[in-house]
Amino acid sequence: MDTRKDLLQVESLTKTYGKGANQTEALKGISFRVLEGEFLGIMGASGSGKTTLLSCIATMLKPTSGKIILRGQDISGFRGGKLADYRGKEIGYLFQEFELLDNLTARENITLPLALHGVTARQAEQEIQAIASLLDIVPVLDKFPSQMSGGQKQRVAAARALISDPDILLADEPTGALDSKNSKILLDKLATVNSTQNKTIMMVTHDANAASYCSRILFIQDGQLFHELRRNVESESTADFYERIVTVMAQLGGGSANAL
Amino acid sequence: MLFKQIRRNAAKNRKGNGLFFGSLVIAIVAFYTLLSLGEQDVMQFLATIESDAVGKLMLLLPVVYAVSLFFVFFLVYFACRYQIDSRRQELGMYLMLGMKRSRLFGMLFGETLWNSMISLIVGLPVALFLTEGISLATAKIVGLGIIGHRFSLSPTAVLWTVCGFVLVQLFSMLIICVSLGRTEPADFFRAGDTEKQTVSSGAGSMGFLCAGLVLLPLAYYLGIFWLRSMELTVVLVTVFLGISGTFLLYRGLGGFWGLRIRRKSPDAIGLQTFTARQVQENVLSQHKSLAVSSLLLMTALACISFGIAMGMIRTVSSRSVDFSLFGEEAQIDAVLSQDKIREMVGDSYPLYLSHVKDGYYRDQENAFDTGEMVEALTDIDGSNNIVENLHFEYVIAQSSYNRILENAGKAPIDLSGGRVAMYSSLAKEGDFGTMIQEALEQNISIGIDGTDYPVLPTLYYDNIVADRAITLYLGLIVPDELYSQLAGEQAAYCRNVRIRDEDVEKSGLMQAVRKMGALLDDIGIEYDSYLGGIGRNLFYTVAASYLTIYLGILFWLIANTVIGMKYLIGQRRTKHRYETLAMLGADLPSLCRSVGKQINLYFSLVLVTALLSGTAAIFSMFTSFAKLPMGVSVGKTILLSIAALIVFAGLEILYIRIVTRTACREINRLEPAGRR
Repeated sequence: MDTRKDLLQVESLTKTYGKGANQTEALKGISFRVLEGEFLGIMGASGSGKTTLLSCIATMLKPTSGKIILRGQDISGFRGGKLADYRGKEIGYLFQEFELLDNLTARENITLPLALHGVTARQAEQEIQAIASLLDIVPVLDKFPSQMSGGQKQRVAAARALISDPDILLADEPTGALDSKNSKILLDKLATVNSTQNKTIMMVTHDANAASYCSRILFIQDGQLFHELRRNVESESTADFYERIVTVMAQLGGGSANAL
Repeated sequence: MLFKQIRRNAAKNRKGNGLFFGSLVIAIVAFYTLLSLGEQDVMQFLATIESDAVGKLMLLLPVVYAVSLFFVFFLVYFACRYQIDSRRQELGMYLMLGMKRSRLFGMLFGETLWNSMISLIVGLPVALFLTEGISLATAKIVGLGIIGHRFSLSPTAVLWTVCGFVLVQLFSMLIICVSLGRTEPADFFRAGDTEKQTVSSGAGSMGFLCAGLVLLPLAYYLGIFWLRSMELTVVLVTVFLGISGTFLLYRGLGGFWGLRIRRKSPDAIGLQTFTARQVQENVLSQHKSLAVSSLLLMTALACISFGIAMGMIRTVSSRSVDFSLFGEEAQIDAVLSQDKIREMVGDSYPLYLSHVKDGYYRDQENAFDTGEMVEALTDIDGSNNIVENLHFEYVIAQSSYNRILENAGKAPIDLSGGRVAMYSSLAKEGDFGTMIQEALEQNISIGIDGTDYPVLPTLYYDNIVADRAITLYLGLIVPDELYSQLAGEQAAYCRNVRIRDEDVEKSGLMQAVRKMGALLDDIGIEYDSYLGGIGRNLFYTVAASYLTIYLGILFWLIANTVIGMKYLIGQRRTKHRYETLAMLGADLPSLCRSVGKQINLYFSLVLVTALLSGTAAIFSMFTSFAKLPMGVSVGKTILLSIAALIVFAGLEILYIRIVTRTACREINRLEPAGRR
């Protein structure tokens, strides 16, 4: 039995778009828990509601009903300064398209969440150097995004997401805009961060290869939890886990009649 | 169907963007105000007495109109581009739904025409109201009286306004459509390319900045100390240095700004670094627009100051004589005793002004001894011409001159103790008056028939006759006894008449003078009237003030629109940055504060240079070709300049607020990144 504490609880979460006859239910009462230090993957077909789920947790979307509880606090009630603090300190967000500010250097991009909460780059120099070394981006720290490769950009974005030591890193298709080589580098780095720093990561992905780095995967279909896969990190290789993921994805493609 | 779509889109454009619609209305007001100049009360009035000069001005108007068209084009172009930029996705969608480009452009042109029509419906009444206001105000200021004012609508002005406005709108849209025609549908769906942050080489930028910082002060120096010679080479070099200095300054500013950010960013908190980088990006990518806007604002400041100064010169000539009647004493008495005329006359007196007697002329045996005056003048730079031409061939009786002063509401002069005073009607022309005044302050005397007469240390210049076109180079105001001794002609030169103040207050000076003139014409006596002299003077004042202030305001509007629109277009293109910041924990109020700071800094960068260059330009202007005449109170001029500057600052703050509000409205519509 896993003795780790719950970090995040999602309870009966629903999200409905539109009104009246045009209503679309994107999430239909999803509930699950995320443990501290977990590397959780969310998979599902397009339109299954996985990005909506991540957006609700990241407070980019307001759920229609249900609760999202991070360290015992219901985040759906957050407003103003508390909401800004939650976004800047308690979660880190990794976007598919990096979303680096292209007129800021890598260093300035990374320190942005800290500066927003009153910490200067000088005060955080040690942390910047540590995260930059971990993610292999020291040489590009004083460069602008236009002078970096896609992989470097995404690692700078990861450093920005991690610099304020958030409770959880939310990643939305982080390898979606990268080639396979840079995807592998990024996933290796994320896995290292997860294992060495015990950082909780929740990643939405289409890519079975990316998902194979996770310790647990939730499959979503039509706004509901459909299946769950756990990897025995100690005894199961990523290649074996990958095989299992692909099998579930094939069954997902055939509809719920093939549910395991 | 298409027409319905056009109307709906056009309405959305107007409602969604007050700044865009406001710019269109301003363009209409600008055109009509200029084109209806001929309909203004003052111009109508002047046309009756100075038809030649007014005719020449009316010939000049098309040129100013063409210049306005050129500048207003930029105003409309930037407003339209901002508008279209915000609809990129919508336009892309039309194309992807199968709309032909020709139909799309047809729709955009249709919207433009529809919006033009609505703008004209709103703008023309505003313009009409404004021109009527200006007409009434000018009439009041120049003493024309507003009783005879009639509402005037100039169909020609309306026609040309409509043509010019629609032409400028369609031409702007044509240029925009050409660039849209080259855009791939996929590009419409992108937020728009942001300018790549170039890593400006520190040395290169500093080189440009230093060059700008050297050339600009050099231009100021040349403008202030050398421009008064008005030599073409100096003028060209000054203008060249000023323009290139401004461009180089802005070219180098971005790099310098970047160095400053690098130095400060380790200690920056909140959005300080982001704010500074945004401004730097704008400076780097738009240094040419900044330089042009700064130069336009400088020109606006110079134009408005020149216009106000011209107005000041006009107000300085105080009213003393309305009519000068010529003829036999008895004949004049008979005219003045007629009931209708007597009712209007406030004061009348003979003017004793005469050539000196034979023998006192220049180079004759009794010529005045001007040795002390020549000595005093020789010490003054640039007085060679005056020394060579120094002679006194006219004398004015003290009693007559004191009546003139009394009528102008001034203190009489005291020539007791054998003193005389010096007079020149050219005192206000350039340096002449200043030099003579300087010489008089040396307490000089003039020798007449072997006696030294001390000269009062003030040069007098009040109008001695009604026609101000008559000039008197230099004369002496002498006590009446001395006048009898020196005057070649003992009879009065003319009879000066001043109209009763009650009549002037009732119908305005111009109308009162005109009425009296009509009465005198009926009688057939020879006379000069205030109007004859003042007409041309007033005309040039009105024309110069009006046109320069008009151009000044136009330049001001265009410069501000260019800066404002450039900023807003840039902000829209970098909208995703604000969305990312919101996701990283920046709240909307702090994003709005950052935007406000960016706008303030962005405008300040332009305004500071414009203000410095403008001050140098105004200083140089008033020490050279637009020198303030003698008698214009420096204090009053400074006060007026400060008042004008406060109005300028107030309008600038208002404009910046409008841009900030527009920008913040965009921020408040933001959705955090990832939801696009």
